This record gives sequence, structure tokens and C-alpha cells, in this order.
Amino acid sequence: MTEDWIAVATTKDLTRRRKLRVEVDGAAIALFHAGGQVYAFDDVCIHQDRSLFKGTLWQGKVICPGHQWQFDLETGHEEDQDRCQPTYEVRVDADTIYVNPRARRVAAATTAEEAHS
Amino acid sequence: MTSRTFVTIGAGQAAAVAARTLRRRGFDGRIVLIGDEPHAPYQRPPLSKEFLAGSEGLDSLTLLPQKWLDNNDIEIVTGTTVTRVDPASRSVELDGAAPILADAVLFATGGRPRTVPVPGPRPDLVHYLRTLDDARRLQHALAPGKRLVVVGAGFIGLELAATATAMGVEVTVVEAAPIPLGGILGEPMGQVCMRLHRSNGVDLRTGTPVDSIRTTADGVLVELGDNTTLAADLVVIGIGIEPNVTAAAASGLRVDNGIVVDAQGRTDLPNIFAAGDVARRWSDRAGRHVRLEHFDNANKQGVAAANAMLGRDAVNDDAPWFWSDQYTQNLQLIGNRSATGEVAIRGSVDDLDFTAFYLDGDTVCGAFTIDRGEDVMAVRELLGRRIDPAVLTDEDTDLWDLLDAEEPAEVVA
Repeated sequence: MTEDWIAVATTKDLTRRRKLRVEVDGAAIALFHAGGQVYAFDDVCIHQDRSLFKGTLWQGKVICPGHQWQFDLETGHEEDQDRCQPTYEVRVDADTIYVNPRARRVAAATTAEEAHS
Repeated sequence: MTSRTFVTIGAGQAAAVAARTLRRRGFDGRIVLIGDEPHAPYQRPPLSKEFLAGSEGLDSLTLLPQKWLDNNDIEIVTGTTVTRVDPASRSVELDGAAPILADAVLFATGGRPRTVPVPGPRPDLVHYLRTLDDARRLQHALAPGKRLVVVGAGFIGLELAATATAMGVEVTVVEAAPIPLGGILGEPMGQVCMRLHRSNGVDLRTGTPVDSIRTTADGVLVELGDNTTLAADLVVIGIGIEPNVTAAAASGLRVDNGIVVDAQGRTDLPNIFAAGDVARRWSDRAGRHVRLEHFDNANKQGVAAANAMLGRDAVNDDAPWFWSDQYTQNLQLIGNRSATGEVAIRGSVDDLDFTAFYLDGDTVCGAFTIDRGEDVMAVRELLGRRIDPAVLTDEDTDLWDLLDAEEPAEVVA
């Protein structure tokens, strides 16, 4: 594991609370535990700066408390808005959760609808 | 299907969402959005909030990005009024342009502010807030130290009061009802909203009808029912909207406080639909026709009408939901208030950090939250269930667990 990976929490902490907010290199990151997986998102919602850490996990999505935007946990995509919340790569090793803050990803919005070809 | 043409009358939220839904569902015909404003589809919610405050610009309002419009071949006609649709030929007749022959038409004409006559030499000092141009005009008129009188303590009036206060404007709000938002939130939560505004320095006068408004050479005089007169630099009138039904009525559609449609937005005439603020649709949930003036309703009915147009059954009868941002607080209502408006509180009203459950007997019928938006989705799933209020208000109760208790968990654990 390279030095880019930073230990941010234990799986025990996250499993118990399902959501955690951590700071890595000055960036606020929200961790979610759902369906046996760990996900890391920018904590500050792209819409209006509310904290996603306060949000709700529901059917594979994290729902922002501010205006109920629903971000797919796998991609960060908000289907109704067609916009994406930045996400981070996560690794779990020996009960420790690692995030790579340099691997911040913003999935592409579907500017052309897939069904329209 | 390639030769079909779909036209929306109106180019706001419901129309834009319908267009997006049609493409997502594979409709490859022509899509034309006709709006009477000089702008491409934009979002209205920020007009009384971030946009008015100047913290968000025009770009943030965009509903359908230009790249998406280009890639999806959507025609947008701005600044054009539709006079009527010929019900037999479905020719969409325009004021000052050639008609467009449509296979399906969606009326998404929205509403316009209710107005009151204001005599005097300075009509420019009297504002309404519905459109982007309204918001721009108001934005230029607001400045620190100006005296603003807002007539009507509904959501638009109160959001605007909050935004203007934060800009250093001296704000007075006058409302005829004894409590602001009492009709929609009930008395106890209306009281909370009243305190929210008064504690932020707004002079909120309730139980105060307005007798007359008139402009003078350099200001506005607002005469109140209690015989006082307020002198203001400008006035905003926010007393609700009227649905825009002129073209619908001229087309022979059934109009009764909005365009009357079935649960999925179909009018009485074939291949003519209505959605958004203008539509009064059948709701099984409510057991009657409802006309809702919320963003979420425009979204969901825009999707439903687009599906209906493609021959798909996809009724959306979700419980009403809306939000409002005032000062630093985030307010949300899911479902409906109970008849009495009495609530069971989870959290702290004094700290403005709570979820207030509305209960019909012991059945959850809605919730109003301040800075507890995270509870809204759980409450939505709990609507119609009988739950002990003591359990709801116990902060140690995970609301999602209440759902699990009765049905197999769908929640992602």
C-alpha cells in the first residue's frame, strides 16, 4: 500500500454508526457503510454545501438532508439532477479503513441519455 | 415513432423534466419546449434565496445543460405565447408565429402571482417574485438600509424576508392571518416560524390585513387594517399564484382551479396532458383532486405525464414534500399536518433542531423538520403507520428501525 492511502477509521467504528465524517488533508470526507461495503464521498454536498454525513442511507444511495438529492453510493451520480458528488477510493485492510485523498473521482454526468442513440 | 412531435406549453420545471424523461425512455421524435419568458428552462427555488442574495449566479439556475440540449436535440422556443391548441388537429397556435402540429401536448404553464391594484406614480417600487426577471429587478432594488414591506407571510414572502434581512434590508412583513403558514403547518409550527423571523429582526405583523397600497414620488405607503400606515422604499406582494389556464380554456380543456387531469396527467382530450403548478390531478392518496405548487410535484408529475404520453402507466402519488431555506435554517414538510396541527417533537424547538410529527390519532400523517432533513425519508416510509408518539420522540429510537419492526427491511443496513 503506497503512502497515498491514509488510515481514517476502523471498520468497527463505521459499522456501528454506519456514517462517519473524517478530515483528510483538510478535506471533509463522509464514510458510509452499506451492504457490507465502505464508501467515501466529499462530505460537502455539491448542491448547497450541506453535510452528507448527516444524510440518510437508503436503497444504495446517500440522501442529502438539505434537499433530498440522492447520490448513488457506487458512482456519486444524482439521477434527477444528472450531476455527481465526488467520491474517493477506499480500501479496507485488517479492520482499518484507508482513503486515498488524491484519487478524488467525479463520474461523468450522462449528457447524452443512454437510451437515445 | 420517429415522426412524432411532442410539444410542451411552458418551459419550466415540469416541462424540462418531461423532456428529459422522454429521451431517457427512448423517445426519438421531435421535442419542442415553448416558454413565454425570454429564458431557457431554469430553476425557480433559488430565486427567493441564493440567487436573490447574489451568492449564486445564472449558471446555477440552468435546468438542462446546453450540452445535454445539443446532444438530445431539444428545441426551445422562448418569449412566445401559446394562444390555444386545436383539440382536433392538435395544432399548437402561437402568438406571432406559425403553428406547430403536435402528436402530444403537455400544458405546463405554471402560475402567475396574484396581484392587487397599486395606484400612484411609481409602479416600479412594487414587486412580485415569480420569474428570473422579477428576481433580477428585485435584486437591483434591495440594498442595505432600505425599508421593505412584504405583503403576505407565505413561503415566498418569508424566504424573501430572510434573504433581504441578511442583505441588511429593514424588513416588515404583514399578514392577515393570525399566524404565518398556519394553514399548511398548523398553529404550533406556525408559531415557531413566527419566532424564527422575529428573532432575526423582522417586524412580522400578523392578524393585520392591508387596506390599501399606493406609491408616492419617492416611496410606497401601505395602509393597514389597524389604521397604521407603513412607509416603505419598496413593496413585495406575495399572496399566492393563479394557475395560467387561459390557453387551456381556449382549447376546450376542463378548467377548475387548474387544468383537471387524471392521476397521470391526462386531460379529458386525447394526447393532451398537464403537469406542475397548473395541473389539478386526481390523487388516490388524498381521495380528491389536488393542485400542488411545489418543485417536487413539478418533477414527479413531469415524469408521470411523459410516461403517459408514451403509453406507460407510471402514476406518482407520493406524499407531498417541499423544503424552504430561511436564514441558516432548512425547513421541510413531508406529508400533511393533522387536523389540529398538534405535534410530537423529536429534538429541540428552542435550538431549532427538531422533527415535529403530525399524528392523526396515533397514525403518522406527516412531519415538519427544522435542520433535520435526515429524518424526512424515514418519515415518508412511516406515513400511515400507527406508532406510539413516545417512541417517535425518543432520540434513542432509530426511525428506520420502526420500519423494520413492521415489515422486512428494505433499508440498506
